[in-house]
Amino acid sequence: MSLLEQISTSLQQGEDKQVFELTNEAIAEGIPAKEILDNGLIAGMDIIGEQFRKHEIFLPEVLLAARAMYAGMDQLKPLFAKEGIPSIGKVVLGTVQGDLHDIGKNLVGIMLKGAGFDIIDLGKDVPPEEFVETAVREGAEVIGMSTLLTTTTPMMTQVIELLKEKGFDSTIKTIVGGAPVSEELARDIGADSYGYDAASAVDRVKELIG
Amino acid sequence: MNTIVQFELSDILPRPEAVLQDQGVPGDRPVPDRIDAVFTQALDIFARSARPTGTISELTAEELTPIFRGEGENEADALLARIYHRADNLALFALTMGSEVSANIEKLFADNDFAAGSMLDSVASLAADKASEVFEARFFQDLSSRGLITPEHLVLGYSPGYCGWHISGQKKLFEYLEPDRIGISLNDSYLMTPLKSITGLLVSGRKEIHQCEPHFGYCSSCKHRSCQERLARLVS
Repeated sequence: MSLLEQISTSLQQGEDKQVFELTNEAIAEGIPAKEILDNGLIAGMDIIGEQFRKHEIFLPEVLLAARAMYAGMDQLKPLFAKEGIPSIGKVVLGTVQGDLHDIGKNLVGIMLKGAGFDIIDLGKDVPPEEFVETAVREGAEVIGMSTLLTTTTPMMTQVIELLKEKGFDSTIKTIVGGAPVSEELARDIGADSYGYDAASAVDRVKELIG
Repeated sequence: MNTIVQFELSDILPRPEAVLQDQGVPGDRPVPDRIDAVFTQALDIFARSARPTGTISELTAEELTPIFRGEGENEADALLARIYHRADNLALFALTMGSEVSANIEKLFADNDFAAGSMLDSVASLAADKASEVFEARFFQDLSSRGLITPEHLVLGYSPGYCGWHISGQKKLFEYLEPDRIGISLNDSYLMTPLKSITGLLVSGRKEIHQCEPHFGYCSSCKHRSCQERLARLVS
């Protein structure tokens, strides 16, 4: 088994210490950082994502694998110091203003990062303006909004309207999710997509970015 | 009278199967050792950091009316509107697992220990649910000892944000119950801090007053469906 395959396998087993050591070994052997990332870490997370979708593994196992992925990524970061970790797209994430529930949003961020996206996590209780200003400033392709409360879903509408008002609705796509949110609600408020759970959010964001 | 209650940890710890189910792990499959280890870790952190406390106060239907009306945003067919006037006894309650649990969840996520953070979140949520069941049972026992309960009686809890009782009802509930005395505060969107907190109304009455068919307009957007389990208790 190659070193990169070992990284992928250890990651799938949630062995963060092994991934840490194997990533360092791969760096020491001169394997390019991009190759370690794509063919070791992301390759392992892709398999995890697929197993999760097929219900072969469950959320805690995905999260253990994600921790292992982060252990490896931390070793690669200095090598990407100038241009940053290469990503397949940039997503601004946050729990909307008025809501402090962030577990769902965190899980989506972890899964997106594991799939190779660059995540700007604004945290919770995020005002509409902050979503839009950050996405424009950082050149993000997608804004992801989460809420657990029915009372705060209008905040999602405000972000979408603000994007339109500023003329960024064609370049910055929106995806919404959370307990009171449905495909229908997402459509009604003009969101570009809806993530039922963290795994589906990854698929939908990939679709949005094309 | 407004009473403050400290819950025994042993009374509120959720069943492992319930926690794992909340984490999406089906009950019909063997639990991998690594998931079991995460569960044990989360339970241990919860046991060390939870400060489960509640407050409860009996009130009359007349006293409840303005509280239930809240900010005037309840659904026209709110379930509780047809129930509470027919109840024999009522009590408002608030409970919390404490702020340290929420801080630990955040810390675990910040340390990239996502599995333990997520598991602890499930443990704390389910423990809060169990604490509200403890309140139901205690209220039942208290009324029973005062001769106010018959075998036909049932105590069930109803919370703002569910079954047509608008979440803004929290405002008047807080004004009456003052849960800040046990460390719970309310923000402008009626959200409680610490997050693992529950408020509600305990309704004691003959079983049939709780009986309903969950076909209200607001039921279609509800993803909890816990009413199904509650309704099952009406026939047990």
